[in-house]
Amino acid sequence: MKSTIPEFGRFAEPTLLILVSLSDGPKHGYAMMQDIEQGTGRPMGAGTLYAALARLEERGLIEPLPPVDRRRPYRLTAVGATNLAEQLRGLSDFAQMGLRQLGESQP
Amino acid sequence: MNRFLVRLYPAAWRERYGEEFVALLEERPVGPFDVADVVLGALDARLRLRRQAVEAATLKGATTMSLRIGGFAAILGASIMTTALVVGTGLVSVDVDPVFALGVMVVGSILLLVALAGLSAFQARSHRRLAWAAFAVPAFGAMAMIVGIGGMGVENGPFWYVWFVGLLTFFVGSGFFALATYRTAVLSRRATLLLGVGSILPFGSGLMAMMEFAPAFQEAVLVFALAAFALGWAALGLEAIRLDRASPAPRPA
Repeated sequence: MKSTIPEFGRFAEPTLLILVSLSDGPKHGYAMMQDIEQGTGRPMGAGTLYAALARLEERGLIEPLPPVDRRRPYRLTAVGATNLAEQLRGLSDFAQMGLRQLGESQP
Repeated sequence: MNRFLVRLYPAAWRERYGEEFVALLEERPVGPFDVADVVLGALDARLRLRRQAVEAATLKGATTMSLRIGGFAAILGASIMTTALVVGTGLVSVDVDPVFALGVMVVGSILLLVALAGLSAFQARSHRRLAWAAFAVPAFGAMAMIVGIGGMGVENGPFWYVWFVGLLTFFVGSGFFALATYRTAVLSRRATLLLGVGSILPFGSGLMAMMEFAPAFQEAVLVFALAAFALGWAALGLEAIRLDRASPAPRPA
């Protein structure tokens, strides 16, 4: 089956992190940055965040909501949620394969 | 400063994202890492818009600012800088064109500037002034070094001092960076202490040389200082790369 996951090149990782961050509800940029930093222990700069947001919005995976005090929240679209689930399933399958090969799979 | 950073982006991008982007930048202290990241982001936006104009779908060559860039720059920059200093101070006798050695040192200093920006993402949140000083002082110094090297081709004396002051700023900047990193405790404190020692001791060694005090001891201090400087930067660089390579998946609660 042909993958429906869009190609983001070097922004594959930031876009995935943003989609995961938005998976529990709409967030504005600063909240996403905090969420990602807490989740991964690594910083994401504002330049990277907005480069990834622009790509996601362009592909219809996220959509902007009306701004609140100049801060604009974004939320996942249905296509975005489907794509995120597909990506996470792919990662999960890959991780399980790796664990099986290491002989560490759960019964 | 935030308004200036937004102006780096193309007008079409600013029209769509400008206000919310400024609001985001205003929400937390902006450090050298953030500025470098925004500069790369602006470059990406400009290239992307240009590519879109010629119907290119994806910009695969785009770059994001990361700890990894800073980590590699720290290892490479400190190695180059220290090697050039070892040769330049006569600790090891090598037959090299002095202008070439000075030029190599400038390359090392530029790499260290990238390292100072790339590794300062966390420190700038709590020690903004210190993180900026750690970058701005050596940035000024790098310019002084370039002017000094250029000037030495015309008249050696005064321009040597310009170059030398530029070189010293890298130890000052590294010291500020070590202090900010130690206080923030984001990277290894042992490596930070090593870098701190390597940033302070060259001044002691220089003072002893000026006073012609115990030349053999002075040389030993210089060797120790340069080793600490190189190893401190390298250890911090390696840790940053390791941190960057850690799993991007969110940790389970």
